[in-house]
Amino acid sequence: MRRWTLPAATVGLAAVAIGILLVAVLPTAPATRQQQARALAAELRCPDCESLSVAESRTAAAAAIRAEIDEQLAAGRSPADVRATFVARYGEWILLQPTSPFIWLVPIVALLAGVALVAWWLRGRRSSRAATPLPGEVEAAERQRIRDEAELLDG
Amino acid sequence: MGRWRWLVVPLLVLPISWLLFTGLGRDPRTIPSPLVGKPLPSISGTTLSHGPWDSTSLAGKPALINVWASWCAPCVTEHPLLLDVARQHAGQLQVVGVLYQDTPGSALAFLGHYGDGGWPDINDGAGRVAVSLGVTGPPETFFVDAAGIVRYHHVGPLTAEVLDQELPAIGIAP
Repeated sequence: MRRWTLPAATVGLAAVAIGILLVAVLPTAPATRQQQARALAAELRCPDCESLSVAESRTAAAAAIRAEIDEQLAAGRSPADVRATFVARYGEWILLQPTSPFIWLVPIVALLAGVALVAWWLRGRRSSRAATPLPGEVEAAERQRIRDEAELLDG
Repeated sequence: MGRWRWLVVPLLVLPISWLLFTGLGRDPRTIPSPLVGKPLPSISGTTLSHGPWDSTSLAGKPALINVWASWCAPCVTEHPLLLDVARQHAGQLQVVGVLYQDTPGSALAFLGHYGDGGWPDINDGAGRVAVSLGVTGPPETFFVDAAGIVRYHHVGPLTAEVLDQELPAIGIAP
């Protein structure tokens, strides 16, 4: 029973983490065009500042990108299409979030692999310790050798 | 089980060193250009001499699209090279400037001071041309071949080595 507590807890925690991530990664589609534009701007990286989204930045380049988003949405293009045009010009670099949702599973997989590795290592250590004789426990041949050497020294 | 225990060390050390090696070796400022190998996006604007300009006018001849600004120090360093290359390949190579977050007044003063090559400079006041090209900051230069395909995107000031290396890609013997 007890040996299942750790794996069960790990799997449970992982499931909760995946659930939270899915809720965070899959947002509900915003309704109005203004909301769509704002959501898109928040997803794009500002080209002339570091680690800020186009929605947050006040630089000229961010303003130009916001204007372009508005224009393209007004022309009837879908948010996904607009995002794709920016990726085609700047590369995936422009996206603040990676496109593959599986990337979010990497830390969880790495954590599980680490736990498995440590468990494996601890088990190996325990079994190798069992194989070595306990202190005070000397084999008969060894006992004989010690006795012989002692006799030699005594002369 | 015990026989394979030594594997723990390489299993831990190798992925971590790979991660650090590739991750720390990357410069967060360099951005690979997805435009290389693709047609130049269609761009248009008004030049400093108030004439209209459209990228369709580039068709049939290799071109250098140079994004610059008068406030940009590396642009001063690369300017003589641009003047040289434009003079040397006059008739075969077109040079087009795109003014990045700058005013026409300071740009004209820059050209007056450092030399005007006579090529069109697009006054991209709103920054829309720069966004079309995926520009992150001047100086940046796009090497476009006669078919209108971007062959190279250089971020930072041009050097003689870069020109020697990349001009043949757009059909210009350096």
